[in-house]
Amino acid sequence: MSFLTLTHLEKSFGANRVVKDFNLSVEKGEFISLLGPSGCGKTTVLRMVAGFETPTAGGITIDGRDVTSLKANSRNIGMMFQAYALFPNMTVADNVAFGLRVKGVPRAERDARVAEMLALIGLSEMGGRFPFQLSGGQQQRVALARALAPRPSVLLLDEPLSALDAKVRVSLRNQIRQIQQDLGITTIFVTHDQEEAMSISDRIVVMNGGVADQVGAPFEIYNRPRTKFVANFVGTLNTFEVRVTDPATGRVALAGQDLTLPDAPLSARTGETLTVALRPEALRLGRLADAEALLPAKVTDVHFMGSVIRLRADVAGTDVSLDTFNRPDTPPPTVGSMIEVSLSGRDFIQLRA
Amino acid sequence: MTRFFAWGTFLLGCLFFALPLIGMTEFSLKMRRGEYSFDAYRRVFEDQRFWDTFSYSLILAAATIVVGVLLVVPTAYWVRLKLPQARPVIEFITLLPLVIPAIVIVFGYIRLYNTSSFLPLTGSALGTDILLTMGYTTLALPYMYRSVDTGLRTIDVATLTEAAQSLGAGWITILSRIILPNVMVAVLSGAFLTLAIVLGEFTMAALLNRPAFGPFMQLLGANRAYEPPALAVIAFAITWGCMGLMQLVTRFSKHERAKA
Repeated sequence: MSFLTLTHLEKSFGANRVVKDFNLSVEKGEFISLLGPSGCGKTTVLRMVAGFETPTAGGITIDGRDVTSLKANSRNIGMMFQAYALFPNMTVADNVAFGLRVKGVPRAERDARVAEMLALIGLSEMGGRFPFQLSGGQQQRVALARALAPRPSVLLLDEPLSALDAKVRVSLRNQIRQIQQDLGITTIFVTHDQEEAMSISDRIVVMNGGVADQVGAPFEIYNRPRTKFVANFVGTLNTFEVRVTDPATGRVALAGQDLTLPDAPLSARTGETLTVALRPEALRLGRLADAEALLPAKVTDVHFMGSVIRLRADVAGTDVSLDTFNRPDTPPPTVGSMIEVSLSGRDFIQLRA
Repeated sequence: MTRFFAWGTFLLGCLFFALPLIGMTEFSLKMRRGEYSFDAYRRVFEDQRFWDTFSYSLILAAATIVVGVLLVVPTAYWVRLKLPQARPVIEFITLLPLVIPAIVIVFGYIRLYNTSSFLPLTGSALGTDILLTMGYTTLALPYMYRSVDTGLRTIDVATLTEAAQSLGAGWITILSRIILPNVMVAVLSGAFLTLAIVLGEFTMAALLNRPAFGPFMQLLGANRAYEPPALAVIAFAITWGCMGLMQLVTRFSKHERAKA
């Protein structure tokens, strides 16, 4: 049995159904991200797990115990908030010790745990400071230590990196992942940042309109999105109209070139038009030996992003994005120039509505 | 020209407020014929009734502050956290004491809690003191509520509450260890205003026949010439002292935060 289960979870605010029949099983020690746009219900799911919202229907179990109607302060859950939520009237050490003090942990043990937690986040020297004397990144690390100090069964992270600058964000998310793996704590992370979710999660739940559109490992979510929404929300996508030539073998035609799609047999009939998608990095610049098709394209825009160059080009009447690595000895194509683009049917993604 | 008129109006305003005070202070110093002295102040301080009524009012002010904090902090907190839609109603209710005269409130109390009522509070000195404390709490409600509400506005009440809850804290712990310490400056502001109101209040204390500072000031004013203005200056000094303390506490708090 899974460590944390959410079964047929529903939440309505008046007539507004925010979460609809949401199901999720999380294994012990797993890092799950709830990813989706604003208003998709991801934070509401997290808040129901935390006990801050009562589900309209459905149930939540943690380690086999039904916690659906349990108060937030009885669930043994650690939480990090976007706005840090450190207690301004307490020092860093007092903040970390708060949960232990509430639980009645003896002073000696409490002090030892606070020292251990501060060492874990690399702020051992800052115990006597007040939150306002710390940077945003330091405050969020203290919030992590505070959440972990009482040894919670589940750690909930409500967009904890959103208020931080890019560099701190990357370093803190790596630190959170490292600590999570070291402690083996089951974690749910809410974010709207796909890169963040993909870089630290064991599995991602992509949410849309209160339902889980797809649950899977980051590789699966990115490379095999099941719905148009997931494909569009996670990464950039190019869509093409192809004509089915043999549904049984998955063969289709694009601008006179034959391609074989990966998910044969196709549900469409011979001669029917199908919309398929391709990631920018699956379109490759130049003539490649292992590619199924080679199409001419006209460059319409060039974005130099350092290690990667993103081109926009007109391929068979479709405006597409394609990524290529920067090579210091080869300048990128110029706008208006003609290029050749290699592609293969196996890289195409078929999308459900 | 505009600047001249602005300064002129400002100076006129200052004179309007300062002249009576200067006049009153000067008069209070003229008890000894032909020279300035603090005789009137000495007389006031030598009067045992001054100390009795002043200490009585101080005790009642402390009780009023405690009751006010216990009533207002949880209420304002709860309204901010769970009932934001009820804020206009609560604000209206807390403003009522400014509209309803104290005499109406005290007659209501006497009628409800007289010796032949179901709760005969006026039958004993302690009971009447309790009644007077409740009356003072009502009078101070608009100031205390606004102070605390302003203080709560400066902190993220909802997130701090949820953070404390996730760490296992119950409502009493959250209120006493998280919310109250973080709105202490606001509570102190409300407390000083309450103190000033209680020290000067006459109607309720007089009609409930309690030995408070307000009735003493009135009694002295009716029978003496130089002591009443001296007492008024003392009362002013106490009130301004309270205001000054309020400013100090606020500035100290700002300074502490600015150090970041």
